[in-house]
Amino acid sequence: MLVDIAFVALGVVAVLSGAAVFVVDSMARATYALAVSFVAVGVQVLFLQQSYVGVVVILMMVMEMAVMAVYMVMFMGMNPALMPMSMVHSNRTAVATAVLTFLLLAAGILVVDWPARRGSPPPEVTEALGEALMGPQMLVMAVISPVMVATIVAGVVLAAPRTRYDRFGDDLRQRPPDDPQPGGVGR
Amino acid sequence: MGEPLLTSLPAAAGPAVVTVAPAWAVAVVAVLGALALAAAALDGVLSARSASAGGALGAAGRPLGEASRLLRQRRRTTVQADTLLWRTGGAGLLVAAALMLAVVPLGRWTVADLAVGVVWFNAMDVMVWALVWLVGWGANSAHALVGGYRFLAHGLGYELPLMFALVAPAIAAGSLNVGAVAAAQDGLWFAAWMPVAFLVYLLGVAGFSVWGPFAPALGTDVAGGVRAELSGVDRLVLETGRYALLAAGAAFAVPMFLGGGAGPLLPDWAWTLVKTLAVLALLVWARRRLPALRPDLFMEIGWLVLLPAALVQDLLVAVVTVWRS
Amino acid sequence: MGLREVLARSAARHAHVLVVEVPGWDGLRMATERAVLERGWRLAWSPADADVLLVCGPPGPRLAAAVDLVWEQLPGPRVRVDVLDRRDLPDALAGACAGLLDDDHHRRDPRARHGAQDHGGHDGPEDHDGHDGHAGSEHHGDHDSSDDHGGHDMEMSPGGIPLAEGGDDRDGLEMDVLAVRLGPVLPHWPAGLVLHCSLQGDVLTGARAELLGAEHEDGDAADPRTRALDRVVSVLALAGWDDAAERARRVRDAPATGDARPTTADHPTASPGLARLRRRVRRSRMLRWSLRGLGPLTADDVRRLGLPEDAGGDAYDRLLHLLDDVDEPAPPGGRQAVPVDALADPVVGLDLAAARLVLAGLDLGGLSAAPAPRPEATRG
Repeated sequence: MLVDIAFVALGVVAVLSGAAVFVVDSMARATYALAVSFVAVGVQVLFLQQSYVGVVVILMMVMEMAVMAVYMVMFMGMNPALMPMSMVHSNRTAVATAVLTFLLLAAGILVVDWPARRGSPPPEVTEALGEALMGPQMLVMAVISPVMVATIVAGVVLAAPRTRYDRFGDDLRQRPPDDPQPGGVGR
Repeated sequence: MGEPLLTSLPAAAGPAVVTVAPAWAVAVVAVLGALALAAAALDGVLSARSASAGGALGAAGRPLGEASRLLRQRRRTTVQADTLLWRTGGAGLLVAAALMLAVVPLGRWTVADLAVGVVWFNAMDVMVWALVWLVGWGANSAHALVGGYRFLAHGLGYELPLMFALVAPAIAAGSLNVGAVAAAQDGLWFAAWMPVAFLVYLLGVAGFSVWGPFAPALGTDVAGGVRAELSGVDRLVLETGRYALLAAGAAFAVPMFLGGGAGPLLPDWAWTLVKTLAVLALLVWARRRLPALRPDLFMEIGWLVLLPAALVQDLLVAVVTVWRS
Repeated sequence: MGLREVLARSAARHAHVLVVEVPGWDGLRMATERAVLERGWRLAWSPADADVLLVCGPPGPRLAAAVDLVWEQLPGPRVRVDVLDRRDLPDALAGACAGLLDDDHHRRDPRARHGAQDHGGHDGPEDHDGHDGHAGSEHHGDHDSSDDHGGHDMEMSPGGIPLAEGGDDRDGLEMDVLAVRLGPVLPHWPAGLVLHCSLQGDVLTGARAELLGAEHEDGDAADPRTRALDRVVSVLALAGWDDAAERARRVRDAPATGDARPTTADHPTASPGLARLRRRVRRSRMLRWSLRGLGPLTADDVRRLGLPEDAGGDAYDRLLHLLDDVDEPAPPGGRQAVPVDALADPVVGLDLAAARLVLAGLDLGGLSAAPAPRPEATRG
């Protein structure tokens, strides 16, 4: 009973703080309202016995929001702490899309014939989850991971305006390199 | 949803850790407070010793005196401060520290025997990112904001190495449960055969406690940084939160790297406390030995030195674990 | 009422003091710091942290206005003390202690603050260094303008603080430019110096320096040795090494308190404390790593700024020079004071932490408000 009440309360918190993202007038508040919403969902997942997924949701989302706040403040210009600003744009389209999506998903929940639970969860849910995700697809994962890392690195390298010729000179011999902000390793 | 919230581990995971009633959470807070006070007292003594030749022991009461000063001081606010976020950030540090300590078994007892206690600890230390930045942001002051950003810059440097350092004991124990990790170290502490992970972990603890070399976010050069505009009870809460985080980090090192409650003569809860205090003293002492790691310089150290070192450590641990089984 | 009184007494025993140095009165400031620490009190880093505001020397009108503004930002219970003579220090501090215990006064105090109805401390975002809230509007000077917040266009300057404007940063991206003033009340900062900075993030993209002077010049100045050691204290403290800074402070104060053999120009034997400090600083690899390459000055720069010949190299070189040459007798006749306009040049392009470290390590030898020979101090 207590668990049910807590679960529902967390749902309410998640929805309300999610809505607050569009109501508040500062970017920091919007960002962290979203973070609260995610944390509430993460705790709900904990309640559903998926402790690993739940905790990772909290971990990743808080970290992401912390970084997102920095980028929002950095790119939006103006002293965002001071200047109240609206967190919405294209209001009508957005509301229509949101309502339609909600109706669609809610209809799905109600219409789908949910299967009854068969068996019980294994004692080590996290391990079972890992086996299910990684077990048969280990080769795929092992290939995809380096490809993803290489993509990220390549993307950053292509996007960076400065090349090694800017750092090390035309004959690549200049040591130490010419950086606007020298790093700590001294390479 | 009638099932128990926190799943215990199967009995195979060594000596059972007993989950006590949730009301014992009060005890967690009490232990946390005592440890934080001990750390503050030790720091007071060490500071007094370097500031003057004698009379150092009397400085053990310093934290209480400072606390009374801050309790008497007025709170203040600034123009256009985001008070909600500002105060949330400060108070949140204490909460995060208490939630970290909740998964640490004190001998046989634990308040929350999470199956994924290690990841839980990690999630809580990531919360600190948000909280410290919020304290810096909320004051709407240039110095405080610079402090907040400095902390995030440090965070980007220490967080990933810290995560991978926590992975090493979990691989060796084959579990993410804190009690199981402690039980897996019979005979040989993880600190002994994964020293790199232990070292990186200690750096990470200093990092999320904004402590010692990781204190530029609170630096003299920006008039106290994140806490530049804090006074009275708000400052007290922030400082207590820092010490509490340091204490929680030290306590978590015990089951992860130092064999949990294992030890001769004393009962296991006493050993847990003794080891915690030892790690805490080490961290407090180290602050005096080291200048600050400037965030712009530390970033490269984190990514080019600590992260590869932690990954190699993980690889070695994984190879040893596979070879053993 | 027993508890309240115990609390108050304990609080007064652990007071934090914000010491303000008026240019030319650094000897008095150091004596004050010593007296404060001997009482078991601490030095505060910002007005929010302070219970006592202690002004060393007679500030000129503009500096006095800045100090008044800082005074407004002390949270309270607060006591303000102005000292002109070292001999008055014990009485002044005892008076401050008694003042902190005067509950009735502190209960009335907040009502006496002007503008208290609006918000507790009506300080702007960047103004706890002692300047007004109008960070970007230089023409306002240093008068306290908290009352005319309402007169501004609230649309673009909420709270009376103008919004930052965009500008290209050093990577060629557009980024906010924030106008922030550093000083004059800031720990480990040259006395009376105000640096009007343009900040992008925490990088100084432009700066203009000015000096807020004393009421009269016959100050209580420290001797060159003490002054050099004081700079060592500042650099170590700004490098985040509290312990070494504390030890350097002990060495600095040693001759006066009689802890160690006095070292004068006639007996240039280093005190044991100084030798230990030298060893400690030289041995720290982390300090070297942290200060290496910071604020490099060529021989040309040194001449242009009017610094001593050995000021070349980076911040680490200057710190070592400072420690090595502490006991060397000062050159006869002294040096030309550094023109304040020249100060902006070495710090533009650095981040805040680096700029503070570089400034603290420079031998400014008494700033002069006279214009620089070549007015090219600001760029960017």
